[in-house]
Amino acid sequence: MNQADLLDQFVIESRECLEAIGTRLLDVERDPTNVELLNDLFRSVHTLKGNCGLFEFKPLERVVHAGEDLLDRVRNRALDYSAELADALLDAMDYSAQLIDQIQRNGRIEVSAEARSILHASTLRALLGDDSEVHSPSPSVMPAPPRLASGPPSMLPEWLDRLRPAIGLAHGASLALRYLPDADCFFKGEDPWRLACTTPGLLNLQVTGAKGWPVGDERAGWDCYQCNLDIVLLTDAPRGDIDEHFRCVAEQIVVCQVGLVPGAQPVADAADTVLRQRVGVLWSDQCALLERVGNLPGAVLAARRTLMNLLVCLGDVVPLDDLPDSAPASVLLAWAHRHAPHDGIPQVTAASTAPRFDDPERDIAEPHQRVAEGSAIQPQKVLKVGQEKIDRLMDLIGEMVVAKNSLPYLAQRAEEVFQQRELAREIKAQYAVINRIAEDMQHAIMQVRMLPVGAVFQRFGRLVRDISRKLGKEVNLVVAGEDTEADKNVIESLSDPLIHILRNSLDHGIEMPDLRRAAGKPTAGTIRIVARQESDRVIIEICDDGAGVNPARVRDKAVERGLIPAERAATLTDDEAIQLIFLPGFSTTDEISDLSGRGVGMDVVRTAIERINGGVELTSVPGMGTTLRLSLPLSMAVTTVMVIESAGRRLGVPMDMIVETVRVHVDDVHQFKQARTTVLRGRIVALRAMNDLLALDAAPLPNAEGELAVLVVRIGNESVGLLVDHFHGASDIILKPLEGVLSGLVGFAGTALMGDGGVLMVLNPKELL
Amino acid sequence: MAIRYLKKYAALEGNVSVEDAETLAQWLQQQGDPSVNLAKCEHVHGAVLQVLLALCPKVKEWPADPLLAAALGLA
Repeated sequence: MNQADLLDQFVIESRECLEAIGTRLLDVERDPTNVELLNDLFRSVHTLKGNCGLFEFKPLERVVHAGEDLLDRVRNRALDYSAELADALLDAMDYSAQLIDQIQRNGRIEVSAEARSILHASTLRALLGDDSEVHSPSPSVMPAPPRLASGPPSMLPEWLDRLRPAIGLAHGASLALRYLPDADCFFKGEDPWRLACTTPGLLNLQVTGAKGWPVGDERAGWDCYQCNLDIVLLTDAPRGDIDEHFRCVAEQIVVCQVGLVPGAQPVADAADTVLRQRVGVLWSDQCALLERVGNLPGAVLAARRTLMNLLVCLGDVVPLDDLPDSAPASVLLAWAHRHAPHDGIPQVTAASTAPRFDDPERDIAEPHQRVAEGSAIQPQKVLKVGQEKIDRLMDLIGEMVVAKNSLPYLAQRAEEVFQQRELAREIKAQYAVINRIAEDMQHAIMQVRMLPVGAVFQRFGRLVRDISRKLGKEVNLVVAGEDTEADKNVIESLSDPLIHILRNSLDHGIEMPDLRRAAGKPTAGTIRIVARQESDRVIIEICDDGAGVNPARVRDKAVERGLIPAERAATLTDDEAIQLIFLPGFSTTDEISDLSGRGVGMDVVRTAIERINGGVELTSVPGMGTTLRLSLPLSMAVTTVMVIESAGRRLGVPMDMIVETVRVHVDDVHQFKQARTTVLRGRIVALRAMNDLLALDAAPLPNAEGELAVLVVRIGNESVGLLVDHFHGASDIILKPLEGVLSGLVGFAGTALMGDGGVLMVLNPKELL
Repeated sequence: MAIRYLKKYAALEGNVSVEDAETLAQWLQQQGDPSVNLAKCEHVHGAVLQVLLALCPKVKEWPADPLLAAALGLA
């Protein structure tokens, strides 16, 4: 990895860190006593600082370091977390983000940044208070590195000696661990003994008193709730399991790999162990044979030869030759007992080896199994891939889908033009296979592009906090369902509209605390963002418990701004009136603030949401609050359209706009001057001829029974029937927006390439009508 | 109650919790020659273990838990 790659990685990781820090800061502000959160925050800051040090980005490191010192103090309870502290940290974080941007752009930090970095750092340091030298290490001293490190063999801690006999038996991958619980751990509800006993893969466990036990008179005043335990243990579980098991007390444990301890068997010795055990068994078998009374000389000789072979097999150089060939059984037996090969291996007794003997494979299989387990629990590997690569994949699969769609045409041609019925059938069978694979592939790629909506929600915590502080309002933000997933593009285009909505809720929705109190509501307002999936749509609801939208005021303002005529405003129901806020140029605020009043509020929201085929619904109860409901497609890569034919042209209509397709007899169409209507299920539906809309000079074509094809589409809350000539069924297409000179065309959503190579114009019925 | 204080010994039974540590410590210190019966003991809290280790009473009957037995045997 060269320097540039490393730098890219640094930028990505730092961004992630900053994001995590931002969220955590807000979490901590909500719950300043939560040690877990503080530790997490501290870790993120620490990681960021470590990364900076790698590149010598001094200004950045200075700020982050100051932040780290500050957090360390908070973590150690030397300092209380406060809103000012959070402000300073958030500011420093924003500044760090700017620096990171600079680094990404230029690969370095500009010299001008130096001064501001010093300013930020000193602001943070000022919060440390005067006694900084007393409690915290001087800024130049790195905080203690995590103690979870395997020390090099030269620095073997003496506590390993307590495990010495057990270490001899353990294989090299085993871990030795010392656990010194905090003196006040019993008050935190910890049970160090249980934690130690339940260690995964526990092989050996020893416990003593860390500072010795009280003797004599000391016992009277001894506090049994001051933990004095010193636990050492040996385990063959993988490191990940151990870290996971002791995650709450990570700073109280020291881990050391046994393989690094001299005298411990390396992993490769596992097979040797088995060998030695088998040799031991055979050895004792020979001894048992020799112990029998009345052995034939031949048997003794055989036993002797076996023993010799066993020794050779072990590679031991115990001279059996010094025994005379004709030594009697008893002499040989005594010799065998003396030289039994049990050095460094467990004492082989008949009882302990019997079960092993029955199942020798088990012992051999075990090390492999351990290896397999070890790899299985490794954390899932994450691949960081640039967005454009995924987009390219998406484009390719789109083309693949289109290309695959040409196969049915080919089959049709084979049958009709070349009279190859058999071939046509085979092509169709092949098509089914390719279709399945392509669909799976498309699905898989879509999955890759899926992001949890929480990715957008993340920054709202900060937004709500900042704005509410600025406005002097108290607001709680409640977020639910943040892991609901949707396509990356959908998620990304969601961010701006949601910010607009939140700003509106904060500015217009939530009242000032005293007003709320007067209305009998809790002082702090609540904004709730809930995301969930409903079939193939993602629903996001933003509710506030503020004042709600005042229909009368909306009407007045709309008339005042000349958005609708006064007479029409008067006829609107309250529900319809509040929808007026979606009109372009609408604003109820007279003054322009930096939050709202520029009349680009809700109409921007609606346009942005509709651009990604979404919908916005607004409901509001005066005095109770407002709910905005966004409904978004899960994905916008593939669109399903209905292909219709009108005046000999094929056109596509997006499926999500279509309510139904019906055939209406010509006699059932009522004509009143230019307007045509028909009655469908007791409701009057206006009919428009597609040819008229497209300025084609042809009448709608009825079929043989004299029926007209009617495509009923829903536009807003109205249903409109479009008279067309034929329906051609549904088709999945990749919709390409109109570009260049065509981009000015009204009435079309875009174009798509069909399987037969033709271009399908896709209508946008809304613009058309 | 996970500890029954009898005339000659204290019987630690089942799961001995952290609250019992103090009373056990006091009882053990009052006895001239304290002994405990751990036969029915399944688990002791770390604090109780510490009391047993510090005041080393005679173990009348050993617990079934090999880890606990080993830990006490060592002290």
